[in-house]
Amino acid sequence: MTKHSIMVIDDEKIVGNMAKLTFEQDGYEVETFLNGESALARLTEKPFDIVITDLKMKGVDGLEVLRTVKKLYPGIKVIMITAFANLDVAIEALRDDVHDFFPKPVKIKELKASVKRALGEE
Amino acid sequence: MKIEHKIYLSNSIHILLIVLIGLVALQNLNDILTKFRFTVIAEGLNATFLEMRLAEKNYFFYGDVETFNNIQSRIDQTNATLLEVRPDIIRAVGSAKFTKLQDYLHVYAQLIDSIRKENHRDVAAQKKLREAGQDLKTFSEDITALEIESIGALIVRSKNILRVSFLAVVLFAFLFSNLIVRNIGKSLRKVISLTRAISRGNYPKIKEQPSHDEMGEVINAINAMAEGLHNREKEIIQSKRLASIGVLVAGVAHELNNPLNNISMIAQTYTEVYDGLSKEQRIDFMEQIDEETERLRLIIHNLLDYAKPKEQHLSRADTNQVIKKTLSLVQNMLNISNIKITLALAEDLPDIYIDEHQIQQVLVNMATNAIQAMDQGGELRITTRYLPDDEKIEIEIGDNGKGIAPEFLDHIFDPFFTTKEEKGTGLGLWVSFGIIKNHQGNIRVTSQTGIGTTFTISLPSCHKLGVANC
Repeated sequence: MTKHSIMVIDDEKIVGNMAKLTFEQDGYEVETFLNGESALARLTEKPFDIVITDLKMKGVDGLEVLRTVKKLYPGIKVIMITAFANLDVAIEALRDDVHDFFPKPVKIKELKASVKRALGEE
Repeated sequence: MKIEHKIYLSNSIHILLIVLIGLVALQNLNDILTKFRFTVIAEGLNATFLEMRLAEKNYFFYGDVETFNNIQSRIDQTNATLLEVRPDIIRAVGSAKFTKLQDYLHVYAQLIDSIRKENHRDVAAQKKLREAGQDLKTFSEDITALEIESIGALIVRSKNILRVSFLAVVLFAFLFSNLIVRNIGKSLRKVISLTRAISRGNYPKIKEQPSHDEMGEVINAINAMAEGLHNREKEIIQSKRLASIGVLVAGVAHELNNPLNNISMIAQTYTEVYDGLSKEQRIDFMEQIDEETERLRLIIHNLLDYAKPKEQHLSRADTNQVIKKTLSLVQNMLNISNIKITLALAEDLPDIYIDEHQIQQVLVNMATNAIQAMDQGGELRITTRYLPDDEKIEIEIGDNGKGIAPEFLDHIFDPFFTTKEEKGTGLGLWVSFGIIKNHQGNIRVTSQTGIGTTFTISLPSCHKLGVANC
């Protein structure tokens, strides 16, 4: 069985690193990116199953990543995380068909459960 | 008086002057006409008198009695004419002269009559008649000559009156319009200097009692506008302050949540993948937690530092000296970054009244920003100048670095706004702005991407602040 692949985008390096460690232990394939531009470029080369993205980033931000992914690769599920506990943005993300929305600090267990739901494994 | 009314008044006075001049000219022309008419009549009379004298000579030479009838009929004719043109003559020469002329004619007629009746041909009668005839003719010719002379005088008078009135009208027009224009000009200059002050962010008023004309209304309106703008500015500053508190709170939440999330994720991952971690990795995890904690501590420290109401230690200071001291603090950084300093410090600057430490903090912040914007090296230009109209000094700090994108320019004074990725806290300019505002000054920024950024700080002179001995 092929591994499910997860893309993690966050300008906080630790988020990517920790997510990589914990998801790889669970048998996922994980690639991390520090900004939206490099992540979207990578998506043209490799299809991922899940994209976990931070909302507020310099340049291409989380909402733009979400919109681009939903437009070009509608099969990919997007999970949004943010340090902004702002309801307006969450609502906007939901309108754009985000799979899940987590405010920081994130509970890794919840994130894992969300990924499983997205993959239809639960 | 209103300008409108002044112009009406001026025009009315002009029209009145012109009508007066016209009436005087008309009167003169009438006089000339009357006198001219008289001279025409008088020429006729003179001719008749001459003929009468000729006839009289004929009688004495030839004794022709028929001549008397001829003279008599001319006398009757002349009397009739005199009666007929009496008003004209009286108007021209006056009734005294008219009566005198009639008297002369009467004497002459009586003599003719007596000579005819008594058929005198003696020398005495002849002499008497000749004298009376001569008197009549001379008097008539004299008044004619006098009238012709007075026509000349009238024409000269008319010419003089016209010349003088022409000068008067021109002079009056010049003086009056000058008076109106000078007042308008004075008011306009006040309005211009006021609007210039408003565009520099000052809101003075024209204090002199405005005149009761349209310019006075304009000045009142502009005073009201300055006051309105000032109030609006206060409201905007207040609402910006409120908005900036909101931005600050959201920024604080975001700034704190990121390291908190990092610590939390490290801890959770540590637990999850504990068995698979080497000793070094576990130590690395703990070190990362420590680093993130330090990041949190720094944020909190900065916040407290900035939030703390700072007591100002104000003293008189020389702007250029403050700049030089500040430069010695950043000199090393400038050298390392290969940045050249160009100073253009004005020598006539009045002292300012500042907390020197705080202003140095602002200048260091500006210099640091400039250095970071010129990662390939460049030029830092510092210029000072005095604006005597506003009693303000200006410090201009310009770099030729990468500049600030126009969409960011409105936000650079917002708390937690930074374009410097990891390097910036986003608090430097916000704090600088607060310090300068507390000094009753102002910071402006202009920037062009790829060309550079210039910050202009303005501070009131200590004289403007009313500090003693300034």
